[in-house]
Amino acid sequence: MIDEHMPVFIGSGLRLAVPIIFAATGEMLSERAGVLNLSLDGMMLMSAFTAALASWATGSPLIGVAAGVLVATAVAGAQAVLSVTLRANQLVVGIGFNILALGSTTFLYREIFGPLSRDPIPGFAQLNLPWLVHIPVIGPALANQTGLAYVSILMVVVTWLILKYTSFGLAVRAVGEDPRAADKAGISVARTRYLGVLYAGILAGLGGAFMSVADSNTFTENMTKGAGYLAITAVIFGGWNPWYTLAACLLFGFATALQFLVPALQLDVPVALLLLLPYLLALVAIAGFVGKSRQPSALTIPFERGG
Amino acid sequence: MALLELSGLTKRFGAFTALDDISLLIERGEVHCLLGENGAGKSTLCNLVFGVHRPDAGTMTLGGEPFDPRGPAEALQRGVVMVHQHFSLVPNMTVAENLMLGRASAVLKPQDIIVRMEQLAAEYGLEIDPEARIDELSVGERQRVEIIKCLLGDPQLLVLDEPTAVLQPDEIDALLAICRQVALRGKSVILVTHKLGEISRVADRTTVLRQGRIIETVAMEGADIRSLVRSMVGRDVQSAGSVLAAAVDIEGKTPAKSSSVGPTSPGEAVLQISDLVYRDPHGVPRLDGLSLTVGTGEIVGIAGVEGNGQSELGLILAGLAAPSAGAIVVGGTQVTGCTPQEITDAGVGIVPEDRHAVACIKELSVAENLYLGAIGKFSRFGLLDKSARRKAAETMMRDFDVRASSPDVSMASLSGGNQQKAVLARELSLDPLVFLLAAQPTRGLDVGAIEAVYNRIRAARDDGLGVLLISSELEELMAVSDRIAVIYRGKLVGELAAGSFSREAIGAMMSGHAHV
Repeated sequence: MIDEHMPVFIGSGLRLAVPIIFAATGEMLSERAGVLNLSLDGMMLMSAFTAALASWATGSPLIGVAAGVLVATAVAGAQAVLSVTLRANQLVVGIGFNILALGSTTFLYREIFGPLSRDPIPGFAQLNLPWLVHIPVIGPALANQTGLAYVSILMVVVTWLILKYTSFGLAVRAVGEDPRAADKAGISVARTRYLGVLYAGILAGLGGAFMSVADSNTFTENMTKGAGYLAITAVIFGGWNPWYTLAACLLFGFATALQFLVPALQLDVPVALLLLLPYLLALVAIAGFVGKSRQPSALTIPFERGG
Repeated sequence: MALLELSGLTKRFGAFTALDDISLLIERGEVHCLLGENGAGKSTLCNLVFGVHRPDAGTMTLGGEPFDPRGPAEALQRGVVMVHQHFSLVPNMTVAENLMLGRASAVLKPQDIIVRMEQLAAEYGLEIDPEARIDELSVGERQRVEIIKCLLGDPQLLVLDEPTAVLQPDEIDALLAICRQVALRGKSVILVTHKLGEISRVADRTTVLRQGRIIETVAMEGADIRSLVRSMVGRDVQSAGSVLAAAVDIEGKTPAKSSSVGPTSPGEAVLQISDLVYRDPHGVPRLDGLSLTVGTGEIVGIAGVEGNGQSELGLILAGLAAPSAGAIVVGGTQVTGCTPQEITDAGVGIVPEDRHAVACIKELSVAENLYLGAIGKFSRFGLLDKSARRKAAETMMRDFDVRASSPDVSMASLSGGNQQKAVLARELSLDPLVFLLAAQPTRGLDVGAIEAVYNRIRAARDDGLGVLLISSELEELMAVSDRIAVIYRGKLVGELAAGSFSREAIGAMMSGHAHV
């Protein structure tokens, strides 16, 4: 019986992990540069809404994704201005954006979609990649994903390559660890951090857009349900390493997917408890692992040039 | 033609004029020393040349072209490089990564850097493992990485801001040799220092700065060190014979023992350390059965290469670390593993090694810092009597010559010397007080302040205090101590009494060749 449910469980686990993978991967790079975007969830939510709106208005999910990414990047830009240029407290700024995102998307959703909330939103089809289907057990689950899901894994690889093999990645690591040293080496701390935050914005935008136009083909109020916070947790859990962060995201995805698997197996576990599981896991992860891995030394500390 | 020409440079920070109408020529292939007390404007001058700050007035030319760097990047482009007092290395990255930082093209090519490092190693003798992580390197090695970083781009001008303050004697020798090598290849070197001994060993010319002005520029051939000191401090340094001797120490000869000799035979033991063992949080043994006695009215110096346990000994005596085994008794009271408050109550004054992190709170006022441990003294019914504290602080500042415009200014606004005097004032005003620990008490201070600190420590000894002086400056230990014990790998390996101090003997013991 478990065999027939396994592909569905794996498929939905991966699907649920994708937005977190996007957001966490971008956030990881931004944090390596020293900026914590607590506004990640807000970026995702704004993107999810904008993508839904643009896709519905134009009929093209691709335009939807582009619009979502654009809006999330704009939020990231604002976050960067406040936390890099104006040296505002990064946590406070992030919380502010999250509240703004929740309020504005809820309001606009009711204003624009209120009577039409049943209308389906044009979304992406699953690719059904033939060369993946034949892998035993996980094959069908891997093959039946939308294109964006594969892009999320690609972004992990790209981010890893950036950090390890490019001078921009070296600058990011230096700026997050010792901005003074980076400055003295002739690197613009502000520019590097702006790019880091914008990178996080683009990826959070992809994650948010995935939720509305690739996963559920609809928008609902507060549809991220804290995925941005889970992503931030995954970065800590993953010790600021792209691959471990990816593993943490998958763990959160599968933990969320349990809420579908467990009732299907007719196990007597309250669904409410399962809904809680990823968040509980996040709490345990932070409590148990944050001491082991060392965060970038300059994380959340604004840089000011001194003599 | 001169490489760098400064004319009429002025720099103000608010109402404070850091540099006032500075005009100076730096020739090609010369080592030019900038000498001056803290706050004389040496670092500011370097920062202008390196583009960290921009002048309020005046102009610079480099190689005949106008030179007005808007930031370090522009200075680097023009071939001006700088080794800062505080290293600019990212601790959790490798040497190669640090060297690539800020100068690599889009995709990193570590192999290119390694080849270049091999060239520099051959040319200047600057050898280092490219794959080593910075936080695994010693201070001297880190500085070597800084210098390699500077030389990578084949610069015209190398600026070194107090490079020897953190180095051991042999590392200083190596550094000065590198400076000469650099100058021999036609590049210019600006070396900031307040150690006179170095100047006479390496400089072609020396410029003395005081209060933001140039006092004189002299060629070092046949120059009189004493007159340089006078220019630097603006007065005759009275009774500073030992400071001067220690600072000059041209031939490496033993400086004369200070004239103010303490009681010939110390009194009863005031500090007794027996079989002290300490393992750091990683389980590495730092102190390995150290035993030491300090009597009343005696200054005992601890000599040793940094990292042999002297820092940990200081932390344990201050109550900031708990020993793994052993006992510490102060004036008959057991203080092993006691809290800092209990240790203070037992009559121990502490001048900690890290002035900024441990000894004072820079954001608080001088008065608040002076009475940090005695807040209750000025508290009535739970309310703070600020005016009483202010008055008391003023008296203490007068007694200890702490120069600040008022007790209410922040500690951060004081010079290093005055901060240290304030710390000494606080610790020496404790009651009861039977023992003083002074760990690296003159680190980063200028000659005038060093003299004041020495006099305070000697006066405390003459008042019957036992003093333990931990210092990485051999000259300082020989000038002030009545007895020098040498620490090596967490143990005392030998001891010398005043009168029989010799650099060679102490140096041998410091490197583990014990012969008592």
